[in-house]
Amino acid sequence: MSRHKIIRTMNLADELDDFDGEDDYYEEEEEGMSSADKARMADGLRRVREVIGSDVPSLTDEKIEETLWYYYFDVERSITYLLNQVGASEKKKQKKVAAPEPKVREHFMTLSSASSKNIPPGFWDDTPFGSVPLARQGEFLPPPPLAGFRMGGLLGGMQSGKTSKLAALAKARNKAKAEKAADAISPAAAGTAVSLLDRLSKKKPDPPPPARETPPSTAPIVPNISKLEQLVEKAIPDSPKNEPIQNTPSIPGPEPDALLKAAPSGFAKSMFGKRLDEAFEFKDEFTNAQLIYFSIAPTQNAAIKAKKAFDVPSPDDVVIAAQSQSKGISKASKGEKSGSSATTSIQKGVEALKVGDTSEKPTPTKIPRNKIDVVAEYEKSKSKRKENANLVVIGHVDAGKSTLMGRLLYDSGVVDERTIQKYKQEAEKIGKSSFALAWVLDQTGEERARGVTIDIAVNAFETERGRFTILDAPGHRDFIPNMIAGAAQADFAVLVIDSSPGEFEAGFNVRGQTKEHALLVRSMGVQRIIVAVNKLDLMHWDQERFDEIKQQMSQFLTTAGFQPKNVSFVPCSGLTGDNIVRKPADGLISWYSGPTLVEELETAKPVIKAVEKPLRMTIADVYRGGVINPVTISGRIEVGNVQIGDTIVAIPGDEKATVKGIEVDNQTADWAVAGNNVQLHLANIEMEYLKIGDVVCQAEKPLVPLKEFEAKILAFEGLTPMMIDIHRGRLNASGRITKLVATLDKGNGSVTKKKPRHIGPGSLAVVNIAVTGAPLPLEKGSKIVLRADGLTVAAGVVE
Amino acid sequence: MRLIKQQVERDGSGTVTLYPEEPEDMWHAYNLIRVGDTLRASAVRRIVSESSTGSTSSSRVHMNLTITVDKVDFDSQAGQLHINGRISEENKFVKIGAHHTLDLELNRNFTVGKAEWDSVSLGVVREACDPAEKAEIGAVVLHEGLANVCLITEHMTVLRQRIDVSIPRKRTGSITAFEKSMEKFYETIYQSILRHLPISNLKVILLASPGFLAESLQKYIFAEAVKTDNKTVMGAKPKFVTVHCSTGHVHALNEVLKSPAVIARLADTKYAKETKAMESFFKMMQTDEDRAWYGPKEVERAIEKGAVSTLLVSNSLFRSNNMQERRRYVRMVEDVKTSGAGEVMILSSIHESGVRLDGLGGVAAILLFPLQDLDESDEEQDEAEEGNEDNENL
Repeated sequence: MSRHKIIRTMNLADELDDFDGEDDYYEEEEEGMSSADKARMADGLRRVREVIGSDVPSLTDEKIEETLWYYYFDVERSITYLLNQVGASEKKKQKKVAAPEPKVREHFMTLSSASSKNIPPGFWDDTPFGSVPLARQGEFLPPPPLAGFRMGGLLGGMQSGKTSKLAALAKARNKAKAEKAADAISPAAAGTAVSLLDRLSKKKPDPPPPARETPPSTAPIVPNISKLEQLVEKAIPDSPKNEPIQNTPSIPGPEPDALLKAAPSGFAKSMFGKRLDEAFEFKDEFTNAQLIYFSIAPTQNAAIKAKKAFDVPSPDDVVIAAQSQSKGISKASKGEKSGSSATTSIQKGVEALKVGDTSEKPTPTKIPRNKIDVVAEYEKSKSKRKENANLVVIGHVDAGKSTLMGRLLYDSGVVDERTIQKYKQEAEKIGKSSFALAWVLDQTGEERARGVTIDIAVNAFETERGRFTILDAPGHRDFIPNMIAGAAQADFAVLVIDSSPGEFEAGFNVRGQTKEHALLVRSMGVQRIIVAVNKLDLMHWDQERFDEIKQQMSQFLTTAGFQPKNVSFVPCSGLTGDNIVRKPADGLISWYSGPTLVEELETAKPVIKAVEKPLRMTIADVYRGGVINPVTISGRIEVGNVQIGDTIVAIPGDEKATVKGIEVDNQTADWAVAGNNVQLHLANIEMEYLKIGDVVCQAEKPLVPLKEFEAKILAFEGLTPMMIDIHRGRLNASGRITKLVATLDKGNGSVTKKKPRHIGPGSLAVVNIAVTGAPLPLEKGSKIVLRADGLTVAAGVVE
Repeated sequence: MRLIKQQVERDGSGTVTLYPEEPEDMWHAYNLIRVGDTLRASAVRRIVSESSTGSTSSSRVHMNLTITVDKVDFDSQAGQLHINGRISEENKFVKIGAHHTLDLELNRNFTVGKAEWDSVSLGVVREACDPAEKAEIGAVVLHEGLANVCLITEHMTVLRQRIDVSIPRKRTGSITAFEKSMEKFYETIYQSILRHLPISNLKVILLASPGFLAESLQKYIFAEAVKTDNKTVMGAKPKFVTVHCSTGHVHALNEVLKSPAVIARLADTKYAKETKAMESFFKMMQTDEDRAWYGPKEVERAIEKGAVSTLLVSNSLFRSNNMQERRRYVRMVEDVKTSGAGEVMILSSIHESGVRLDGLGGVAAILLFPLQDLDESDEEQDEAEEGNEDNENL
């Protein structure tokens, strides 16, 4: 039937009826709650009350029910949340006593929190800035005028009950500024304020349009509710069922008599509390209250100030400089994790403004070199700093490498509870609930959908005794090139083994990656290896299984060239987290009393590196590091050192660049040495000149790329003159073995046979290799891995 | 290629006139024409004439020229053959000894004259004029950031385009850059396939990669074809085959062509047979070292003993300008053929299997029975040589 006919025969009335019906149906669905749910709710409420007690005034039944529903009857988590809430509100009360504010504002604050109580916690969490879903958008209408009163309408995206970090931050800044203003109001400070403000507002995804503060007044303030809040209230009835709104609720017509004025949210209040009056002078511009409801268009005055802001170092620069000057601050700020820590660090940063004004502002053309004696600095700092170690996690596919590392990051507090919960839910949705922890590291869609790590993921964590950069390598044999890239950046390795029946054997046989990976890391210079015998929970922590694996593995690792003292075994379970960061529950592993995985990591001694030699670093990644740093490269410094202002060159290109900034483990630094995993922000170069796999050298002492070279290799497979892939870190090029020069004796390195026509597996040999494409950045002593047909055929050193 | 006329005398000298029809025929001509041969083909030459008053006028004249070949130059990308030489037959425009570069053109006869037409040369002519159906395939081998778009014809593997881009790696918190550039990478490959592969003429288009890239690429191609309503690609949907390989470098084609999925479709093609032969050689090397030998001296000795079951020779050896060397290899081929026990395969040096064989020195043999120490005597010799070198170095 054609569309015409459908239209012609359509009964409009019917259609409309249908529509109404749907609408009704929808309403029902909104409010309905199955009896089972109700029963669970009642039960949950009872259990929460049991734990918390009924004497907490701020905890109404309603609130508990709401929380329960939000966590979908997960009593434990609801309790945690509620307790946090109570704690937070109490803390806030104390704060208020400490820093009394004008009465009116206080009133506003409470009003706003009261009125926004019905927005469920986390309501805005998943809302991207700038694209608020229709369902959550409200229409802003001007509040009716109030005689003698200029009032800012305001929308609070804030959660009730607690100030956001942002608000706290801004408040702290205001305070700091007030202190400073007492001394002298420097132009820098004003500038700082504006530019910092810009930054702040960029960071937060849901800044409510700021409102003008009302001048203190004795007139009674009528509670005002913004339209949005009304909408929200309407859409989310007071029932515990606070699901996100799916449909756009109809916008109510203007309400005639309600005196609507928005109370400022905590955010806006603290943002524009005092400073607003100085920075934006639109006192007389808006006499009609109807007009003022949201206006923050900077006036000319403010614009000038904003302009001035860029004449001086941006507050970030200043703070960074100050931090790098005084190590204590950076440490302090890093250690803390709570919202208030941000406050203190900024506060300190602002204080440091006076001290650290000498810091130069980097310009794109010329970056002053401080001429730090990096080697000396490094020696000095050795005792002070926690030693940083890079470890690569290797093992057969599906041994649980990513999950183990996800667990490690989670338990050591790098990844927060919420993220994990989010991953858990998402993973459950696609039926891979056990992969949730691995998702911390497997971030691309492909990796998650297939449940396989494809590329290395780099993360850092810190324990009391050491700092670690972990490189989670893929186990699948197709992605060994990526694994090689990871292993090239590592000081030591964690070999993860799946202890479940058949799995260990699968990884350990000839084509399994357990062996291949172990051989690869060894041939790339890793000496220390920790074998994590994973998934032992599935084996009921069977000691026999552990011992069996241990026995077979130590035998193999010894033949692979690891010294027995550098090999250790740890039983653990990545999924449950036993014996990784925390000790296993009492009696779970009765036969094991050794260290946990993390403790074992801490014992690993860093390798001594050639710090004083000319710089060499293989580029692991090239990307845009942001607006300020358009060209950033990352990698691990293999030998030598680098400092801000150094001129470098990426071989085989010959384009020079200047180091503008250095980050070591995501913290800014003035210099970095061999062994550090660094990010270098470069100036005076385009991204096109830098390729992944290039070697960054000191411009004065670059290496000469090779088209043909001789290499001493250890063959893993039979070799003839053949096509091969040459791997060195991220570098992956095609080449050809042109000549088999000689086989060598393993013991003393003497020549056993010249011009062999075939090199057998396991023998040591010297071969000539020609590169197919452009010359490669290799030099004497570069460690290379040769692969062919998906197998690692040899590993060796360029002669 | 069509054979127009063949005049070979008893003593092996003579001329052959050929009519090239497709670009691949240039490759055959390249394998046929040696330095020292005579070549007659049509040419356009600028003739400058001087009048009695001393004024000059130049005109382009179309003529047939015969040259003695000095240099042969083959451009596999463009499928063009440039032959440098001196005029050997005078006509009214040009003198003997003047230089000329002939560019062989499709659909125009050319005549090659040789002092000696050996079996290999005649074999080339025969093969070139074989009217059997030609199976051409397209292949894209890729890994993250590198893709090679190749066209594989009966006798050639032509790398049509190499795509090498930098793809930012995944980093904590930011995978958008990675995903964006992957999208762009696929887009570039897709465009390259459209531009460089004659999709409707191809028997099959192989997409090969480690991991899941090939599948993602295939998905992208079809999605894009639907989006842009590209009927050619949509119609060729069954032609696209994804294959697993370990790397994105061109030499992965070896791996691709020996995969079962490909063999099933292309078993009867020459290159599939070549790939298979090389594969069995390397397998023999691993399992029974003494039955697989490579290098001219060793293979020659094996032939003397009548031990060769399959002789693999790269046609690059027959392009040698050194007549003696060429004769040596021709003799090897003829010996194996006349012995009756062995099979000879002349591999195209621009197929990946031929490249592999070239790596071994261009000649290899699988033996009927194991032979040991075929390389022994020359080792001593080499040692003596190396001793000399050492002395020189000192």
